[in-house]
Amino acid sequence: MEVEPSLSTSWSRSRIGAFLSQPVSWVFLIVGAIIAFLSLYPTFFLFYGSLTDAPLGLPGKFTLENYVRAYSDPEAYPLLLNSFIFGFGSSGLSILFALTLAWITIRTNAPFRRLFELTAIIPNILPPILVSISWVMLLNPSNGLINGAFVKVLGLEKGPFNIYSMAGLIFVEALILTPLAFLIVAAAMKSMDPSLEESAKTLGSNEFGVMRRITFPLLRPAILAAGTLNFVRAVESFDTPAIIALPARIEVFTTKIWREALGSFPTNHNLAAAYGVGILGIALVFVYLYRRFTSQVENFSTVTGKGFRPHQIDLGRWRFAASGVALLLLVMLVVLPILVLILVAILPYYHVPTWQTWQNLTLDHFRYVWATPRVHKAFMNSLFLALVGATACMVLASLASYITVRTKIAGRGIIEGLVFIPWAFPGTAMALGLLWAYVDFPIPVYATIWIILIAYVTRFLPYGLRAVTSTIIQVHKELEEASIVCGAGFVSTFRRVLIPMMRPGVMAGWIILVTIFMREFSATLFLYSPGAEPLGPLLYFLYLDGMRGRVAAIGLVISVISVILIAVAQRYSRWDSN
Amino acid sequence: MFKHLFFFFFVLAGATLCISPAFSQSSNFVEAGKKEGKAVVYGSLESDSAGAIFAEFKKKTGIDVEYWRASATKVMDRALSEYRAGRPLFDIILTNDNPMQIMFKEGLFAKYESPSAKDFTKESIDPNLGPRYRNVVIGVVYNKSSLSAADAPKTLEDLVKPQYRGKIVMPDPTQHTTTTQWVASLEKLMGKEKADKYIRDLAAQKPILVESLLPAAERVMTGETPIAITYIKYVQIFGQRGAPLDYLRLGKFMGDGHYLTLGNKAPHPNAGKALIDYFLGPESMTSMAKLGEFVNRKGIYPPLADADKVQFVEMHDLNSKQFAEKKKEYQQIFLR
Repeated sequence: MEVEPSLSTSWSRSRIGAFLSQPVSWVFLIVGAIIAFLSLYPTFFLFYGSLTDAPLGLPGKFTLENYVRAYSDPEAYPLLLNSFIFGFGSSGLSILFALTLAWITIRTNAPFRRLFELTAIIPNILPPILVSISWVMLLNPSNGLINGAFVKVLGLEKGPFNIYSMAGLIFVEALILTPLAFLIVAAAMKSMDPSLEESAKTLGSNEFGVMRRITFPLLRPAILAAGTLNFVRAVESFDTPAIIALPARIEVFTTKIWREALGSFPTNHNLAAAYGVGILGIALVFVYLYRRFTSQVENFSTVTGKGFRPHQIDLGRWRFAASGVALLLLVMLVVLPILVLILVAILPYYHVPTWQTWQNLTLDHFRYVWATPRVHKAFMNSLFLALVGATACMVLASLASYITVRTKIAGRGIIEGLVFIPWAFPGTAMALGLLWAYVDFPIPVYATIWIILIAYVTRFLPYGLRAVTSTIIQVHKELEEASIVCGAGFVSTFRRVLIPMMRPGVMAGWIILVTIFMREFSATLFLYSPGAEPLGPLLYFLYLDGMRGRVAAIGLVISVISVILIAVAQRYSRWDSN
Repeated sequence: MFKHLFFFFFVLAGATLCISPAFSQSSNFVEAGKKEGKAVVYGSLESDSAGAIFAEFKKKTGIDVEYWRASATKVMDRALSEYRAGRPLFDIILTNDNPMQIMFKEGLFAKYESPSAKDFTKESIDPNLGPRYRNVVIGVVYNKSSLSAADAPKTLEDLVKPQYRGKIVMPDPTQHTTTTQWVASLEKLMGKEKADKYIRDLAAQKPILVESLLPAAERVMTGETPIAITYIKYVQIFGQRGAPLDYLRLGKFMGDGHYLTLGNKAPHPNAGKALIDYFLGPESMTSMAKLGEFVNRKGIYPPLADADKVQFVEMHDLNSKQFAEKKKEYQQIFLR
């Protein structure tokens, strides 16, 4: 006897059938599955670890003790407040620097703006720890070079700056964070249609009014994207607080995590994971706020089918002043840290130079880079990881971004949340999660270069996603609709309409990722096969061994290679390159 | 006649050496190790020291060494994770005492008595881990350009005198594990009561706290702070490059020991054993000492002034509970 399917069952089936008949649904399922796997598989181990009393890999009992210990200590909350001050201060200052620099280089006719644009990204290449060390050498109160110059020139009793303060901490972290904000904001600025600004001008607004009422609101998604990323990055950073906050006796939340979990002996990964879940909570609140602020997507759509170049403001005589401001920012961001690096690379040992120093300069550290096969091999490994990893990451980020911004598929928001999960855990804790996820994986990827690629995509996808989302939000739907009306399918529309329109964001994300992958070490360290190290771990070992000169020399070579990659990428990111 | 007799004994000694178990044991491991192709080492020995020894080992035996270098805690984290997952990739672990003891208790190591161990002093041989091949010695280092020998402190007790207030840099004992151990072990040099007072006096000097021992040495090297509590080997290592450093001759110095031990699931056990034999041998220990390390093989010293007068006192081994308690205690004392 045949049973008639019920009405609701057949209705569900027809809905599933209709859903699966759309190519975009398949893209959603495939991208969703990849991201869910990449994100949830390693973080499962961390969540599990936060709820057990045994180290990973050993059978333990369920417990909430780690959470109680992490969050019942009243001392944690003032430190959290310090972390918020540090996070807001440094991300806010980095946005201010990035906006100023992006506006001058993209929207004005200031001289040398192309050169400024190219060099603004260089600090992203340098390991943050080197930037912090450079600034300590410049601004420490005892014998900082800048302080020393002030004392000498102005006859002061002591130098006017003290890097060992909350202000110093915020300043240095802001300089470290600025390139990321610059790339995201600049990509959004490049994608802006000038017609709205021109209309405002026609209606009598002056340049400042246009900037306040039109340009700034249009850039809001990009500013929020960069602010969100930089805030969480600052709150979870340990390098700068370790070098600057510790001597100043300023404690932040990461110092506590380090003391009690990651730096404890033996490392308490269970407690570190419980702290990580707290940071994840903060990150997800920011993702939610970001989505709320950018939910009125249509309000920000300015890239239409009409061809345009971003409107360039003629600053007249003021264009030199604008170049001066950009130059000042670049001196702080690039010139001074790079000069210190060059100095360290040619000094026989790390010290503040005196007149005697100039007689003892050496090229030994560069000779080491030139003559050591281990260094050459590390360069090749890192170039491969940077180019392939950044490309894979941006393909996935573009598809994920399209789904979350452009489609109405139920559950699309989950993808964005999933992407952020691995990123919110402290680097070392996540590295352990990755190690655990893949050490016994059925496909033998552990201790091969592929596992590092998987780790990079897992951990750094949010950077790619944020960069591309802030651009895709601005692309008006009419272009896709026109493509579909003309008979193009999803793949053709995505490839021929959306990818070219999103190109500034895609290339910005790609550049961010390439520069990070060239020097990444916290995820790499636990996963690479001995004997096949990329540059990040090599730099870390040399740093650990006190080889500052070699680290600086390698850092400079990485900078040169990265600048070449960036220059090529930027060429392809311009609207006018077509 | 005498000449012939000498030649006879010489040949006899050579033959005895060749057929001795130690020699044949090592050469057997080399032959078998060649077939295995390589030895994989996870360790916290500085890359330059390790690199020089491994390159020489390869030249002598033809066996490659792949070295994964990290801090002691990270070495332990990776080794334990791989071991618990049943996929250890390492043949040898090479790091300091405390993590080695933890890994030993977890069952990571195989017992291997190297014939090269016989040339180490009895007190430097651990029953579970074998010879403590080097000591990392912590002392007081100062910058000779910032402080003349006459103005420099002479003893640990001098550090708490008013003239050195704010002039000392040390790793944060509430964060840096080795420094927590060092402060906790001061009682070995001074007795409990005196050490307790000393720790409070030292904290009252408001020392500049940094992340670890190397940044402390670097601050002295750059002249940012004149005095540091750090490894005295930096005097030799950075001194070679021109840094104006010297150290206080304290007589007794505290520090930690380093060991190297074979993994019990080593993928290349023969190559691993051959490497241990070579590593503990005179050639490798001499080249390590030349780089500034205090090795424990009899009669070998680093080229650091008065290195032979350094009396090594091993710091307390603390377990995780004791570390947590000490860090909490020092938080009250040093971070107030």
